[in-house]
Amino acid sequence: MATDAGAIPAAAHSAAPPHPLVEFWRYFRQNKGALAGLGVIIFLGLVAIFADVLAPHPPAEQFRDALLRPPVWQDGGTWRFVLGTDDIGRDILSRLTHGARVSMAVGVFVIALGLLVGVVLGLTAGFFSGPVDIAIMRAMDTLLAMPALLLAIVVVAILGPGLFNAMLAVSVVVLPGFARLTRAAVLTELSKDYVTAARMTGARLPRLMFITVLPNCLAPLIVQATLGFSTAILDTAALGFLGLGAQPPTPEWGTMLSDALQFIQRAWWVVTLPGAAILLTVLAFNLMGDGLRDALDPKLKR
Amino acid sequence: MKTLSGLATLGVAVALGIASPAVAKTLVYCSEGSPEGFNPAFYTAGTTFDASGRTLYNRLTEFERGTTKVIPGLAESWSVSEDGTVYTFKLRKGVKWHGSKTFTAKRDFNADDVIFTFERAWKPEHPFHKVSAGKYPYFDDMGMPKLLKSIKKTDDYTVVFELNAPEAPFIANMAMDFASIQSAEYAEAMMKAGTPEKLDLEPIGTGPFYLVSYQKDAVIRYKAHPNYWGGKAKIDDLVFSITPDASVRWAKVKAGECHVMPYPNPADLEAMRKDPSINLMSQEGLNIGYWAFNTEKKPFDDKRVRQAMNYAVNKQAIIDAVYLGAGKLAKNPIPPTIWSYNDDVKDYPYDPAKAKELLAAAGLGSGFETDIWAMPVQRPYNPNAKRMAEMIQADLDKVGVKAKIVTYEWAEYLKRARAGEQQTILLGWTGDNGDPDNFLNVLLGCDAAKTSSSRWCFKPYDDLMQQARKTSDVNKRTELYKKAQVIFKEEAPWFTVAHSIQYKPVRKEVIDFKLHPFGGHLFYGVDIKE
Repeated sequence: MATDAGAIPAAAHSAAPPHPLVEFWRYFRQNKGALAGLGVIIFLGLVAIFADVLAPHPPAEQFRDALLRPPVWQDGGTWRFVLGTDDIGRDILSRLTHGARVSMAVGVFVIALGLLVGVVLGLTAGFFSGPVDIAIMRAMDTLLAMPALLLAIVVVAILGPGLFNAMLAVSVVVLPGFARLTRAAVLTELSKDYVTAARMTGARLPRLMFITVLPNCLAPLIVQATLGFSTAILDTAALGFLGLGAQPPTPEWGTMLSDALQFIQRAWWVVTLPGAAILLTVLAFNLMGDGLRDALDPKLKR
Repeated sequence: MKTLSGLATLGVAVALGIASPAVAKTLVYCSEGSPEGFNPAFYTAGTTFDASGRTLYNRLTEFERGTTKVIPGLAESWSVSEDGTVYTFKLRKGVKWHGSKTFTAKRDFNADDVIFTFERAWKPEHPFHKVSAGKYPYFDDMGMPKLLKSIKKTDDYTVVFELNAPEAPFIANMAMDFASIQSAEYAEAMMKAGTPEKLDLEPIGTGPFYLVSYQKDAVIRYKAHPNYWGGKAKIDDLVFSITPDASVRWAKVKAGECHVMPYPNPADLEAMRKDPSINLMSQEGLNIGYWAFNTEKKPFDDKRVRQAMNYAVNKQAIIDAVYLGAGKLAKNPIPPTIWSYNDDVKDYPYDPAKAKELLAAAGLGSGFETDIWAMPVQRPYNPNAKRMAEMIQADLDKVGVKAKIVTYEWAEYLKRARAGEQQTILLGWTGDNGDPDNFLNVLLGCDAAKTSSSRWCFKPYDDLMQQARKTSDVNKRTELYKKAQVIFKEEAPWFTVAHSIQYKPVRKEVIDFKLHPFGGHLFYGVDIKE
């Protein structure tokens, strides 16, 4: 009896389609690169959250008795400064750790802002065809027409240098991607029966936009957001490198890189480590973004 | 077989044909930044003088290359009246001007050009005074408008300068870049053509090189002036390859893309010493790097705050980290190699507690917010201003002062600093005539206060300056300047950082390049091995 009772629900379970999240995970898991990316991102996220605990020293503290110390495995390195110090005696490990926080915050902020504004613009353009649609989309085309970094530099030049302004600038750069993507998804969804059905039952416009249609457009947006994360981090680092982003003593990776450039032939660790951090982070997000796309795109499903 | 050898001969001939124009000797100098413009009278930066005054123009007197000695330039000889107020210059004959597409000189250099040059900067009603920038900061900072009484020519090759008061360093001043002689004939032609600003944009000078082309932030090309009065330069082409990054400059020199570079990274000096193809020249620089407080702005109008800043910052740490040993602690605004250096002056020790006390006394016990301007380029007196600013920022933080680091593109930086937008600013000075007046008065006197970085005008100090200018007795002047240095230290308009040692890596194939005590780069007389 007991076995029978167990057998019937089990059979029913296997017949029912798996929960979408489970199905997603099954596809995502097959992509080893994406898994590695996810691992790195979780690690970086933890580092960013617990930077205060993990960093051995405050990021801006200058140990003036220990300038340009090499990392611990090289001659002259000590465990006090595991990854060495920069030219004014700041601990590189601590700065990288806190830099992770800055980079993650930049990514989250930029994507949140870009997504929010982009989705609203995209929905509006998709729902109201005609002049509204044309106005929004041509504005987005104008933004897309300019090279991303150049556009960011222009925005920073207007707002003035600084980390917050750099983040705003990069948000402007990622904005058109989200807007276009949302609009395209909305246009396909609008012709479907469930939307017509919702309309028939008297759903008003905001409900149609945000509750009926938007959830069905999310898959491409998630992929774009993940890939955009890496763009955001890279562009902010580039702005920092050009002296337009984070201002000293903020431990931002791009700024660290440009400040250390003159030591490239004498103290490799000051230049290489922030560069490696940027590389690793961007790579991780790109890999994960690819994996997400494979898992979420029905056309790519095997 | 025959055809083959014929071909080979042809090949040799072609090779020779290509080889012969390559005989033109080209010297490439990796300069550190773009010049602000090509008329040295408008500017004060050494970068600009390298690219304009020192290549394109001549002055009445010149500094001998590699020394501070004044030698005849466009003036063959001069005499001074008994009371030291009348200077008579006998001008050189047969000095040819450069030519360009728009202008060919019909006459040689003469007295009219000298008068044109000085009256343009001096007299506001002069038709060219307001052309282009319309500002003559060096001329004004030297107190020239007040000093000059009249400039007259007695014949085409004799000019008489009458001064209002005796001016001890006058002959040396005439050798400085701001006094570069412009062509009156060219000015007139351009005025007629309705494009007077071309005088400054497409420079015509008498100098050893003429300008061929300029691309901002990329390259300046010069060719040797074939009719130069001192004989044609030994090199045929001079190229300034503008390379703002010191590591890149060094990489270019190492690869042989450049022959000479200024301002190496202190971090790279070790490698330069070891490189067999490089001759690393060094000389104690005639310079001062300083951090100036804008005394017109609160809270730096209060002497106690300025002194507190002096106590708060650890100077030795800056020397170690930023200069990496290639600098000397500075306590006076003039370097120890200049006469009248006052060694008895006591520097402020590093004492944050004392700094806090002074801030509290000034009513700023809870600290305040300010800015630190850091220049975007390396200068001889400051190899890395941004790093220096970060160190100062960290030290100030310890006494409760929150500082923001600000920087602009170099020309913009200087322009804004002259307008007095800064609260505190990192800057420096390289002497250009070897006289203490050139530091103490040009940078800190009341004549300069309208545009100087500290905008400091202090009567007792300025009185000493004025007295010292009026006498040519060196002992008396030394006495006055020593006193001035004591006042300076007490009033503390600057935090004096360092006098740097200037290093210049020069490739071995360059012959007879000399370090200039004033930090400039002169290429007339330099040769290159093929």
